[in-house]
Amino acid sequence: MEALALSLVHAVPLLAGVPLWTVTLLLMVVVAAVILVFALTFEGVGSLVLRKVAGDIQARIGPNRVGPNGILQFLADGVKLVLKEDIIPANADRLLFKLAPYFVFVGSFAAFVVVPFGVGLIAADLNIGIYYVMAVTSLVVIGVLLAGWASNNKWALLGGMRAAAQIVSYEIPVGMALLPAVLIAGSLSLQDIVRSQGGLLGIFGWNLFHNPFTFFSFFLYFTAAQAETNQTPFDLPEAESELVSGYNVEYSGIRFGLFFLAEFGDMFIVAALATACFLGGWNVPFFHVGTLPWIWGNLLSLGVFLTKAFAMVLIMMWVRWTLPRLRVDQLMRMSWKYLVPLTFVNLFGVSLWLLVFRGKGIPGMIASLFG
Amino acid sequence: MGLKAYLNDIVEAVVTTAKGMRITARYGVDPKEEVTLQYPEERWEIPQGYRGFLHNDIKTCTACNMCVKVCPIDCISLEAVRGADKKMVLCSYDINIGRCMFCGLCVEVCPVNSLLHTSGYEMASVARGELILHFIAAEDAPEIKARVARQVAEAAVKAAEAAKVAEAAKAAETAKPSDLSSEAAKAPVVEPKAAKEAAPKAPVSEPTVAKEGEKKE
Repeated sequence: MEALALSLVHAVPLLAGVPLWTVTLLLMVVVAAVILVFALTFEGVGSLVLRKVAGDIQARIGPNRVGPNGILQFLADGVKLVLKEDIIPANADRLLFKLAPYFVFVGSFAAFVVVPFGVGLIAADLNIGIYYVMAVTSLVVIGVLLAGWASNNKWALLGGMRAAAQIVSYEIPVGMALLPAVLIAGSLSLQDIVRSQGGLLGIFGWNLFHNPFTFFSFFLYFTAAQAETNQTPFDLPEAESELVSGYNVEYSGIRFGLFFLAEFGDMFIVAALATACFLGGWNVPFFHVGTLPWIWGNLLSLGVFLTKAFAMVLIMMWVRWTLPRLRVDQLMRMSWKYLVPLTFVNLFGVSLWLLVFRGKGIPGMIASLFG
Repeated sequence: MGLKAYLNDIVEAVVTTAKGMRITARYGVDPKEEVTLQYPEERWEIPQGYRGFLHNDIKTCTACNMCVKVCPIDCISLEAVRGADKKMVLCSYDINIGRCMFCGLCVEVCPVNSLLHTSGYEMASVARGELILHFIAAEDAPEIKARVARQVAEAAVKAAEAAKVAEAAKAAETAKPSDLSSEAAKAPVVEPKAAKEAAPKAPVSEPTVAKEGEKKE
């Protein structure tokens, strides 16, 4: 960010008199605002698409009243959420009750910082990118647990407890399933991971096709990540049929809106991580975007990245409207008895593969056979 | 659990998920699968014999009281008075459609087919009282009763007069059994009576016109 500020100061002579930290701070605010706008837009449009997909899959029509074919429904929803009365239950723990939505939203939104949108489009290319995402999304657990506890409602508390147990359980397979990508790239930075999947192999340069273990790793990650973000087959914390709506049952108005936004933000983060770690990120097949002029290279890579990420989001919605909800014991069994051992086996397999074949994947070996 | 069962579990999970996702994808892609009827704009075709709201054609209704007796939940009530021509005249006919369960027994039992199901099924109200269908306005009932009473009284007077005339004629007849003039005198007396009796008959079938009140249900 400071490098960007320096280059900006060099480019615009008017800024020479302004202290560097001011420019840096302003840039940070601008970047944060841009990402926030992107996140909010995604969450709005995502909620509409989710309902439309649900309608299609369930042989219904879905929202179609607001605007042509219902495309303005999310604006109406947003206005409604903002205008609704903000109710705090009389016996709730007021401080924690007010604090919880911020934890959840910040935990979800902060992960956008390291999402590699394009060649140069990343808010902060942290050298511990994946680690940062794992750490910061764990904040959601605290928020959900706080919300459940502070509501002073048995359903909310049950939902919060379930959420905590679930997220803690599924964080292990998620981390373990992402590690193969880290091993192949030799870096925790998401930009490095994406760059390691580029080159002349096209889509066969993706980590998904690197070797059989990474192939399985992708599906393991996708499954575990859906559970970690409380997507529907694993949405026990907000099981409508048993817990009314779980940890957010007492929330209304914009506080509920924050939980809602965080849910969609998580959805995008999962899709973005899957894209970056396994599906080649912003790499354009058979083409090196770095050689293009800055603006075109970034726009092209942004388009490629968003296409892949949105496709992943669509698949998540598809799964969401297909599978019925698991039971609590099934959920725990799935994590500890299936996903955790399988991800460990995968990690071991990938490590062994990299050791034996000196970091080369199957497509790389085939390519080297033909020169 | 052995290793084989463990692996089988995994394979089964993958296979069943794939199967389910194939089905949902088919529904998601195929637009013909939509079953939604956009209700206020589109409406379904009402089948024959549909039991909608009840409607009583009070011009045909004979106030026989069958529907009231057969109704299992007593949601029909009627009030009728005996008219001058001995026929019952309705002065109120109410169906509490909020209570009605649309069993159709009243329609089946109606001897003159005046009570029928319509195809209507839409009704909303803010008070329970609005769900009672009045086929004759409640404020018309006293008027009808009064009219019927007046007509019955008139008819009674006429009948008494006619009886007197008849008696007189009889007396005259008995006095002069073979007198032609007395027969000629009797005929014009009878004729207006018959005309008067016929006149109220036509309005009887109309709901607003009525006669004497005797019976109250």
